Amino acid sequence: MQDFIEFKKVTFSYTQDRMILDCADLSVGRSNFTAVMGPNGCGKTTLGKLLVGILKPDSGEIILDGRDVSGMNLAQIGSIAGYLFQNPEVQIFANTVIDELSFVMKIKGIEESIIDKKVSEVLELLNLSAHKNSGTFSLSYGEKQRLALAGILINDPQFLILDEPTTGLDIERKTILVDILKNLIKAGKGMMIMSHDEKFINNFSGTILKISNGKITKEIL
Amino acid sequence: MEKSPKKFYNPKADVRAKLAIVMGFSTIGVFVQHLYVLAFILLLSVIAAFIFKAELYKALRSTKNLWYIFLIIVVLQSIFIHSGRIFLQIGSFPVLTMGGILKGGEFLLRVAIIVFSATIVSTSNSREVVQGLIQMKIPYDIAFMVSVAIRFLPLLRNEIKDTFTAIQLRGIEIKKIPLKKRIRLYLYVFNPVVAGAIRKAHQLSVAMEMRAFRAYKGRTSLLHLKFCASDYFIMISMLLFTAAVFVIYYYLGFPKSII
Repeated sequence: MQDFIEFKKVTFSYTQDRMILDCADLSVGRSNFTAVMGPNGCGKTTLGKLLVGILKPDSGEIILDGRDVSGMNLAQIGSIAGYLFQNPEVQIFANTVIDELSFVMKIKGIEESIIDKKVSEVLELLNLSAHKNSGTFSLSYGEKQRLALAGILINDPQFLILDEPTTGLDIERKTILVDILKNLIKAGKGMMIMSHDEKFINNFSGTILKISNGKITKEIL
Repeated sequence: MEKSPKKFYNPKADVRAKLAIVMGFSTIGVFVQHLYVLAFILLLSVIAAFIFKAELYKALRSTKNLWYIFLIIVVLQSIFIHSGRIFLQIGSFPVLTMGGILKGGEFLLRVAIIVFSATIVSTSNSREVVQGLIQMKIPYDIAFMVSVAIRFLPLLRNEIKDTFTAIQLRGIEIKKIPLKKRIRLYLYVFNPVVAGAIRKAHQLSVAMEMRAFRAYKGRTSLLHLKFCASDYFIMISMLLFTAAVFVIYYYLGFPKSII
């Protein structure tokens, strides 16, 4: 089976004196769970941003679903790989939860009945049905994070890239998130999680990519 | 301790001398309505920016989106100001005239003067700018607000960039959607950006109160800026130059424009 993500001799640095990533060939399967781990500042977020085309590599190629990321725009990438930012607030746009989940589809001109059905499904999946009519700014941090994830899932991407999804969550909220993510994996979604939270990552089985001094090593969870 | 040799030319001039240059060039830019004079002042401000090793290219890149708006204003000015030779007219209505084009050009030069000369101040750090303003007898509260604004702008720009990235990653190709829907989309983008800015401003104000901002009337500072000979030279030259331009412009008159 073809790999979903391929890194081919990718290098990246913000400044000339410090190489953030210098990775040899690397691949991630379509429906695999992959954790990217390492200490703060090691390049986890950079790896995610390179994957979704927010950052461009200095050299090498990144292949997403068989296509070179450099030849795709953000909208095309976002349709196949959803990206959850470390700060979910940058990806919440609307004033109410229901509007947040429906506005993209409205702009795309999708029929109201389909929008309603999809919104209800995603709200249920992410345990947000009770907040359907709530204001987005009155939500707790954990709820905002789930809403941001819902906003991604409503596009039905094949793969999810989550950057530090446990930041600011207490144990109870982390447990809720683990259950939701496990359900998504069961439903066949591929997933890559950037995290330094080992306890959280141990809830899953798959592959670990460890970043240290810009080099990536692969381990089995 | 070994003393460094005194240089008359000092690219690390006092921030107040740099402010004098910016104020001089910008004042001329705003008041003088003469294409050649504005072009000359723009040339001087670019030279000054080079001397002070200002990052002109970075300034151009970061104001890239604004230049499109400026160009639209230039076109609108060209359309709505009618004088001189007519280049294009629809029926009896002149659309493009020499006067309009010159006015548009003047506007563009004026904006460029302000942007390029402002890059000179950006070669000093925000702490020096605040201290410079305080030593110019500007109240500390206002000077501090200026420094906060300077620090805030890049943060706000990053937030806008992240928001646009996030909205595109939701599968929206902004360039491909119709104008009406695009305007609606921009309103959505506005939401997290404004909310983020208000939140940051609130957090900053709380943090400042917690550190007893304005609890005491006087505020001392370890940093104290001192003028050197080159700073005096810059400020006096700038004052004389600005005065000379205004005297020539208002009383003696520059050569007539090409209309």
